[in-house]
Amino acid sequence: MKIVVAVKVVADDQDIFVAGDRTLDYSKAHQVISSYDKNAIEAAAQLAAANDGTVTVISAATSKATDAKLKKDILSRGVDELIMVTDDALATADSFATAQVLKGIVEDKVSDYDLILTGDGSADFYAGQVNVQLAAALGVPTINEVTSIAAEGDKVVVERTLEEEVEEIEVPLPAVIAVSPSIGEPRIPGMREILAAGKKPSTVDELAGGVDAKIEIEEIKAPELAPRKQQIFEEGDIDAFAAAVAEALK
Amino acid sequence: MKAFVLAESTDAQRALCAGARTIADEVVLAVVKGAPLTGVADKAYDVELPEGQPVENAAAGVQAAYEAAQPDVVLVEPTPRNKILAGLLAAKLGTAVVSDVTAFDGDAVTNMYFGGLAANKQKASGAKVYTVAGTAFAEAEATGSDDVETIAYVAPEKALVLRGTKAVPREGADLTKCDVVVGAGRGFAEEADLQMARDLCAKVGAELGCSRPLAENVDWLPRNLYIGVSGLQLAPKAYIALGISGQMQHMVGVQGADTIIAVNKDQNAPIFKQCDYGIVGDIYKVLPALIEAL
Repeated sequence: MKIVVAVKVVADDQDIFVAGDRTLDYSKAHQVISSYDKNAIEAAAQLAAANDGTVTVISAATSKATDAKLKKDILSRGVDELIMVTDDALATADSFATAQVLKGIVEDKVSDYDLILTGDGSADFYAGQVNVQLAAALGVPTINEVTSIAAEGDKVVVERTLEEEVEEIEVPLPAVIAVSPSIGEPRIPGMREILAAGKKPSTVDELAGGVDAKIEIEEIKAPELAPRKQQIFEEGDIDAFAAAVAEALK
Repeated sequence: MKAFVLAESTDAQRALCAGARTIADEVVLAVVKGAPLTGVADKAYDVELPEGQPVENAAAGVQAAYEAAQPDVVLVEPTPRNKILAGLLAAKLGTAVVSDVTAFDGDAVTNMYFGGLAANKQKASGAKVYTVAGTAFAEAEATGSDDVETIAYVAPEKALVLRGTKAVPREGADLTKCDVVVGAGRGFAEEADLQMARDLCAKVGAELGCSRPLAENVDWLPRNLYIGVSGLQLAPKAYIALGISGQMQHMVGVQGADTIIAVNKDQNAPIFKQCDYGIVGDIYKVLPALIEAL
């Protein structure tokens, strides 16, 4: 079974700071695998292990995403091969444009895929749309919120967990499936996996042809916070503080 | 301006049709599973779905309803099923869905970036397909006719097959529905000390959440309880932050709180600029005294 995982590389949101003019300062933030995409890689690695399969990670990324540590992180999670295509416009590209780039990678490099997995949504936009757009571009079926996957010949049977019910759905292959984070905790790669990752095949090509974005970003700025009373008590004033708390909880 | 609403639940059908009226003079409603509400839109499309078919198999019907209506904007209830129906419609129209829109400003729409760390204001150059909750609009009444047109089912070439469904068991407290939430942060030195926070919860009828490090770095609380970027977004009556410094990543999750209360030993902690009532003190001293005094 040939499994592909489409992964987004993003700035680590724990190290993004808000500058004085409310723009975002990424200067301290490393490039990391978007959090929920780690769960998708884990799901792919487990499915491959159970079905004598392989895992190829593809990414439509920026030039910042090509650092060696990040590539090793991806390749140390039960992944056999990494294929990246870069263009700095992909940082804020919409799901339509991103899917066109991913489609290009799939058709050029892994056209014999059985299943493509994506995460639930990326840390930045969290649109949950790339799986749908990629499926439409490739002309294959898609489903989302998947919490388990089992291979059955020319299809997979998935559990899809919605707020009030779980659906058991047969998805004919090839297909694109977005997995829920609860499908499985991502592994923590050991030293052996990290060392082995350095020897695995990985290619980075610059995108030919540009990014065809349909959504134009006008401004990304931190919200203005609601004004608060800012009434601050000292440790000795616990009674006055407790009275204020009691009043607020009424 | 003509708005096309796609919704599942009757609450969302009514709320989104009402909201659509605030930006459009003509509103149509499309519903895949079950009959559409009448009296909330100028026209409703009942998109057929044969018994036992998963909702996503009706994507062609939704697209046919769109073609019949020729709207200027598509407003979609944000649910997992609708994410697929809206995404397939957008793909057909050669554009991308803008997800979880929180505000409209003429042709521009805003949604959250990095889980609310920033707001992303953007414009769609082609067709406009947005997922949006009814709360994003000014209050309005839904009005309309009882005109319903049925759109015939067209099976997809490679259809999904629904084998069966089962109910989801209920899990723990839903912090998004609590009046009072207590958040624990790195000010707690040991897992066992969280008992103090639980005691405060018991005293004031609150539920316990936490900052991200407590759920991810030390695993003291489950991940579905962390508040902030990529976690919970809450709007309780009161939020009590214990040993939380007040980084933006956390605070975006509680901006909707009526009152924010903070306990932190560092008088320079950013949370004191973002709270209504704060006390500079060690949680190990303040909490027992506060529980006693309340």
